[in-house]
Amino acid sequence: MALTIKEQLSSPGNILKFVIKHNTIFIFVLLVIFSALISDVFFTSVNLSNLLKQVSGIGIISIGMLIVILTGGIDLSVGSMVALLAVTFAILVNTVILPLAIILTIIIGFGLGSVAGYLVAYQKMAPFIATLALMTVARGLGFIYSKGSPITFKTPGGEFMSNFANNSILGVPNIALVFFLIVILAMVMLRYNVFGRLIIAMGSNEEASRLSGIKVSKYKFLVYAISGSLAAIAAIVVASRTNLGSPNMGMAWELDAIAAVVIGGASLNGGKGTAINTLMGVLILGLIGNILNLLNVPSYPQQVVKGAIIIFAVLLQRFERK
Amino acid sequence: MKNSESEYRVEMTGISKSFGVVSVLENVNLKVKHGEIHALLGENGAGKSTLVKILSGVHQKDGGQVLLNGKEITPKNTHDGQVLGISVVYQELSLVNDLSVAENIYLHKLGASKFWMNWKKITKDAQELIDSLGFEIDASSRVRDLSIVQKQVVEIAKALSEDTKVLVLDEPTTVFDPTDTQKLFDNLFKLKEKGISIIYISHHLEEIFKIADSVTVLRDGVDTGSMAVSDTDTDGVIRLMIGRELKDLYPVRDAEIGEEPIFEVKNLNGRRNLVHDVSFDVKPGEVLGIAGLGGSGRTETAKLIFGADKKKSGTLILNGKEIKCNSPVDAVGHEIGFVSEDRKEEGVFLPLSIRKNISVTSLKSISNKLGFLNVDKEFENVLGLIDKLNIKAPSSEVNVKNLSGGNQQKVALAKWLSIDSKVIFIDEPTRGVDVGAKVEIYNLINEVAKKGVGVVVISSDMPEIMGIADRILVMHEGTFYGELAKSEFSEENILRYSIGKPLKQTVLKKNI
Ligand SMILES: Nc1ncnc2c1ncn2[C@@H]1O[C@H](COP(=O)(O)OP(=O)(O)OP(=O)(O)O)[C@@H](O)[C@H]1O
Ligand SMILES: [Mg+2]
Repeated sequence: MALTIKEQLSSPGNILKFVIKHNTIFIFVLLVIFSALISDVFFTSVNLSNLLKQVSGIGIISIGMLIVILTGGIDLSVGSMVALLAVTFAILVNTVILPLAIILTIIIGFGLGSVAGYLVAYQKMAPFIATLALMTVARGLGFIYSKGSPITFKTPGGEFMSNFANNSILGVPNIALVFFLIVILAMVMLRYNVFGRLIIAMGSNEEASRLSGIKVSKYKFLVYAISGSLAAIAAIVVASRTNLGSPNMGMAWELDAIAAVVIGGASLNGGKGTAINTLMGVLILGLIGNILNLLNVPSYPQQVVKGAIIIFAVLLQRFERK
Repeated sequence: MKNSESEYRVEMTGISKSFGVVSVLENVNLKVKHGEIHALLGENGAGKSTLVKILSGVHQKDGGQVLLNGKEITPKNTHDGQVLGISVVYQELSLVNDLSVAENIYLHKLGASKFWMNWKKITKDAQELIDSLGFEIDASSRVRDLSIVQKQVVEIAKALSEDTKVLVLDEPTTVFDPTDTQKLFDNLFKLKEKGISIIYISHHLEEIFKIADSVTVLRDGVDTGSMAVSDTDTDGVIRLMIGRELKDLYPVRDAEIGEEPIFEVKNLNGRRNLVHDVSFDVKPGEVLGIAGLGGSGRTETAKLIFGADKKKSGTLILNGKEIKCNSPVDAVGHEIGFVSEDRKEEGVFLPLSIRKNISVTSLKSISNKLGFLNVDKEFENVLGLIDKLNIKAPSSEVNVKNLSGGNQQKVALAKWLSIDSKVIFIDEPTRGVDVGAKVEIYNLINEVAKKGVGVVVISSDMPEIMGIADRILVMHEGTFYGELAKSEFSEENILRYSIGKPLKQTVLKKNI
């Protein structure tokens, strides 16, 4: 029988279990407290809103990554896709009206994701290989279309987007709101929708899913297409924030996204993971970067700390399983 | 301890174990003599597997004492157990699919040996070992390509080693047909003669009376008795297992069988020719049994029909209309169900809850047009089925991984019983299920048939198939060799057809 939180906290041994079970949130809270103690700049609205703006792009692709990982796959192409799609969006903003530019970018993202989806689902290619190939292709195309240099927004539409991306509602940056909205949508889908249920089932036992009459290939395909679409939204967000689309955007973002999903307790074997925990994973990674920046730690030691935190988080999850 | 040699090889006393707040074993005793076959019986979830896993080091006991040859042991992991001479064939298969048979058999010994492996020798040794067991498997073939029966044989071969003193077999014969089982028994007798002590877990009570010397019974984590097999009988053992008498194992078949077949198969052929020229029909309300030896093509037939494997040719007719079934999606669309024999790989979702397992086939009916689930309805359905099938679990949210084998089987069945079907294929319906639960499943099959469903049951358990089927088709080398009407049911007749011989008396091979 499920215990209430109160019961779970009723003895010291249980507190430990509770902490281990909800380790992602626990690490997050710990980091927030630590950051607040160590730096008086941390809890300023400027810093917090900066932090949120910084993580939103990676956050959005992390949700796509989560959905792919839930099926037991992986999508290495998302970082390069952000670059290609940001360039695409910048070109479109300068040529067509804004709503059309947004819609076209998302459709192109869906299309690129579909290529990976098609290769994985219908050609039975290993996800790692298919998306690795797509990753190089997308990065290359980004450079070709931009001729190697950033493309700045030049139209009123571009100005509108840039304003939107740099403003806030009630102190929360607009682009963070876009990210949160996507998290909530994913949460609802994974919990209350057939689509979510089926991809979790597929990830935990593909053969049993097939024999239960689930259209395994169709859902596999869709998952990559969705990841591509989310990469498009992330691209629009980051391009708008900087007022330009550059082929250098999204470098190694796929790795941060994977890290966020894993810190959030998802299993790379599929079938296990939630949107809220992935959100925590994204925030944890962002927080580490943020606090190390505030402490003026140079970027190489930062990478070492990041790696250590990932290992720590995953080790904690092993206790949970016991 | 008496003298240097104690009377018992294994003495487990006062063992207790709990997982979290759930207590699984309480003060359990198990004493096994040298060179005896000791049966361990009990319902699904009684704690049999947990007890032997404590012996072998998979789990650690919370209390009690384990003696081996009179000396206390506390194995911390399976390696410790192996070193002490405790070998186990676990209930769940644990082979590495991508390695060869020989590599699997010697896998656990690899770490201890020299740096370089002589693969040729290992393959040769493995082949000798398998041959000596009397089974036909190529030691160099990949485990992935083996049938489930062959995998089980490899599992047994893997457990045997020169220093085995205690051999534990946790439901080794669930996938075996009678001839395989007999081969295993012959081997066990040989081992027993060498002085090896064998702990034997099974839900097939008749096996116990064939091979065991003594028996210990568990009920809900408590041992309810230990005695020599000669001092008890089936009823006595069942009483200790479930705490009451069990009247009838098989339900009275009272479903009304329709005139016209609900489902017909004509000239079905598989791509790989494991199955050829299969034709049969099943009528609404009928329970059609399919018998045959392991590897005769029974499972493959069901998989071909269901669209899980590719057909070469063949016609399927549902309610008089020809249908196409090229994938399980098609099959489910036509309301054809299939319960797989391999529950771990193909039946259940181990890391998911009972609720998510059961409702995976019925998501359409419990969601709206946009795919949003009606969770209340889902709980209602699932809890109803848990109750009906008497699935033993603390709640519907428990992961199937943490259920005992028999209860996992019930979940696999529940998945298909939660939706309407016209025809349902059930491959080994009671594999690993205890006697009490068997009766529940048989009643359920009967009830499904009563609704006018055509039920096709594949089973290697001969008493079972004779008990529940209205008619039996016997498969031999990929096609149906003969048909038995209820009046002709007998183990002998089934076996004769299984090995491709006509019946003894006047009944000749029927054309079907
Ligand atoms: N790792 C685990 N975590 C939690 N509960 C467990 C775990 N392993 C087993 N259990 C529970 O312990 C009980 C005993 O399980 P066990 O597997 O020993 O039963 P069994 O007698 O072997 O049954 P069966 O005949 O079905 O194989 C069951 O209620 C099961 O749900
Ligand atoms: Mg068991």
